[in-house]
Amino acid sequence: MHFLPQRSLALPLAALVLTLAVGARGGDVPDRWWAPGEGRVLPAVLDYENANGTLRTLTVGGPLKTAGHPFFEPLGKDGRACVTCHQPADAMGLSVESARRQWERTKGKDPLFAAYDGSNCPTLPQAKRESHSLLLDRGLIRIERPWPAKSFNGKPIKPDFTIEVVRDPNGCNSGPNYGPEAGKISVYRRPRPVANMKYLLAVGFPFDPKQGYALPLDPDDGKPQSGNLMADNRAGNLRIQMDDAAATHLQMLKALSPAQRKQLQDFELRIYTAMQVTKAGGAVDSGGAKAGPARLRDSEPGALGSIGEPVWSEFKGWENISADEAAKLTPEQLTFRQSVARGARVFREKMFLITDTAGINSRIGFGNPVRNSCVFCHNMSQMGNDVAPGQVDLGTTTLPFADPWDDLPLFKVTCTGRPHPHYGKVIYTYDPGFGLTSGKCADVGKITLQSMRGLSSRAPYFSNGLAKDLRGVVDYYERRYFIGYTEQEKQDLVNLMSAL
Amino acid sequence: MKRFALLAALCTATTAQAAQDTAGLVRFVACPVYRDTDAGRKSGCWLTDDRETGKRWDVTESPYKPDWNFAVLVEGKPSANTAQPCGAPPLDPVRTSRLDIPCTRHMIPAEGFPGRRYTLPRRNIAPASVARPVPPGPYAERTFPVYFEFDKDFLVYQYDDWLIDNAVTWIKAAKPKKLVITGFAATEPETVSGVVLAERPEAAQERAETIAETMRRLLPGLAVETKWEVAAKATDEPEADGLPWQSQRRAEIRAVF
Ligand code: HEC
Ligand code: HEC
Repeated sequence: MHFLPQRSLALPLAALVLTLAVGARGGDVPDRWWAPGEGRVLPAVLDYENANGTLRTLTVGGPLKTAGHPFFEPLGKDGRACVTCHQPADAMGLSVESARRQWERTKGKDPLFAAYDGSNCPTLPQAKRESHSLLLDRGLIRIERPWPAKSFNGKPIKPDFTIEVVRDPNGCNSGPNYGPEAGKISVYRRPRPVANMKYLLAVGFPFDPKQGYALPLDPDDGKPQSGNLMADNRAGNLRIQMDDAAATHLQMLKALSPAQRKQLQDFELRIYTAMQVTKAGGAVDSGGAKAGPARLRDSEPGALGSIGEPVWSEFKGWENISADEAAKLTPEQLTFRQSVARGARVFREKMFLITDTAGINSRIGFGNPVRNSCVFCHNMSQMGNDVAPGQVDLGTTTLPFADPWDDLPLFKVTCTGRPHPHYGKVIYTYDPGFGLTSGKCADVGKITLQSMRGLSSRAPYFSNGLAKDLRGVVDYYERRYFIGYTEQEKQDLVNLMSAL
Repeated sequence: MKRFALLAALCTATTAQAAQDTAGLVRFVACPVYRDTDAGRKSGCWLTDDRETGKRWDVTESPYKPDWNFAVLVEGKPSANTAQPCGAPPLDPVRTSRLDIPCTRHMIPAEGFPGRRYTLPRRNIAPASVARPVPPGPYAERTFPVYFEFDKDFLVYQYDDWLIDNAVTWIKAAKPKKLVITGFAATEPETVSGVVLAERPEAAQERAETIAETMRRLLPGLAVETKWEVAAKATDEPEADGLPWQSQRRAEIRAVF
């Protein structure tokens, strides 16, 4: 594969990153975009540049021939594969920058832009850029959920809320075929990274303290489920998730075969990704730091940082850099390393009041407010997701905490039983999140915490892309909780997150 | 830690009537005040004023803490510990149940009070990966209670999870034929601080079913029956911490052989 000339002046950064693309050695450098059915070999170690350094993806037992592999082959009528939205260069997710680049390179013909969910709504004229604005501007894929809600194992449930559409800027929540009255709700979400999966599947404790039950059991193997997949936790295990992905994103008419399921699951459990080298500070496993994908691959998943290895203590070695070590570094490298190490401490130690956040301030008995830090929710060692099932309402998709965006649908949720503990009887939301899976008004707006790895490769952040960059993430938390970070602390957090 | 449980057990087991005895205990409804102390994570203080006596109490040690937008039902015992890190005498043991009565949110500064540095409560469970010691036999019919917030069926973190974890460990070793789970609700109306309080009768069934679902998940394959009773009476089980009202709001897991 050769890459096509870049003509967009609007994307100088994309162009820069492009020229730095690193691929398999020898001959032509394959493009950083993995198109379906190319038949490339996925090397055991694969590096890609991003604005902050080098992301490394490890395939345990690799290299892997992707020819004929269900993650990489187009399986449905749209010509898409799983890899279309789960790109190695984007930490097995999809950056908005890559989506834009594919639009330019293919003049909108890439299967990524398939009408079903790669456009704002299939009813729109597909050749127009504006019909794909949510994907091109915010990195969002349309997700269609059944209404009334179905739980993670497909069981119908009786919701304790009603849902109405306040506005439908894209046409996918109204008309004869779309919207709650047609039995469908369209929400728009970021792809979540398909890597480091053992952490997302790990079970730390037998209970879900946010729901007040023991963990639900996996319908396939009868074991407790981690509850950490998908923004709305509609898939409790990888099998249910891949069946959902094949039927929707791939528009596959047949079911996946048992052999394909096995290959997909096997692959998902073998792939690890994280930053390996930071542009400003060098390798994240040097000078006493112990981060990077190999450590992730080799560590036990599911540990609670507060009783084991503190979250992001990978960077402890950069807290007090010896004079000898410092002499080997440029002043810029030294400053950056110190900043990352401080960022890890800020993440764990800078306390603030967490308020009106369902999943934390209710119904679990922590109280509203409760004083804690970033690590309260992002508490799993090595990964920064939640050890307990991580459904929490930060307000990213729900008013008044979400940003005012006129290009997303807005729903009015009315609780028919007990009112929501923080919003009351009526809730206005762009995406009810976990409420669409549990059917409970108390869960409306809850979004499952993601992995915090490979962030530099997959902006924007949060399930609806609310934060366009890492500074945007910190700014959101500052607005949401009046944290009072100093400028230095903000920069330290950004540098830390850029190195994960 | 162990000693505390044992002591509590001894005190409450002395007379059957002891649990009904509310002498020396306080119970009132109040809007909570959050004092913004900072001794690290989870170190904020919760204060509540008993309107009838005019006394302010530190209720921070409740396993289910207040929400500053709602009134709480406070139930507790003045602590023997005279230290006042939150600026008021503490109730301990204490419970604060969130009521559906709105309050004006009120936060006050630390005013020099240190708050309490967080320590892991006695009732906390080990990670799933840690093997539980097998409780010794002989095994015979036994009942395990779990407790709830007023009018709720929500499993309380670092309280009910611990009680259930212990029960499940015993049940796994004892291998009973089935479990009978009975939910109770304190449905007899009582007037507290001028507010008439009674749990909904449905709360009894909800508690039974919530705990039954959890037991089915933790002990797949074991037969589970549910029952419920209203007008619950207090018991003198030690893990209700000598608070008769807490003991009424319960479910019982009975292992039958
Ligand atoms: C059109 C883009 C697209 C395609 C194609 C796609 N996915 Fe996804 N994937 C997403 C989005 C969007 C999410 C997040 C959905 C949500 O949170 O509701 C996601 C989430 C996931 C997750 C959950 C990860 C987590 O941390 O929760 C897994 C696993 C996954 N996809 C696997 C697959 C597999 C396997 C395939 C192919 C069968 C596939 N995906 C095809 C867009 C896509
Ligand atoms: C109250 C719990 C909570 C706290 C505290 C918290 N987070 Fe989050 N975090 C979440 C949830 C829930 C999400 C997912 C929200 C979404 O995607 O809409 C999230 C998502 C994120 C993401 C996005 C990851 C992605 O893949 O898009 C980042 C980065 C992040 N948090 C960083 C932080 C930082 C930095 C702090 C401290 C300032 C922090 N979090 C504090 C709950 C929390």
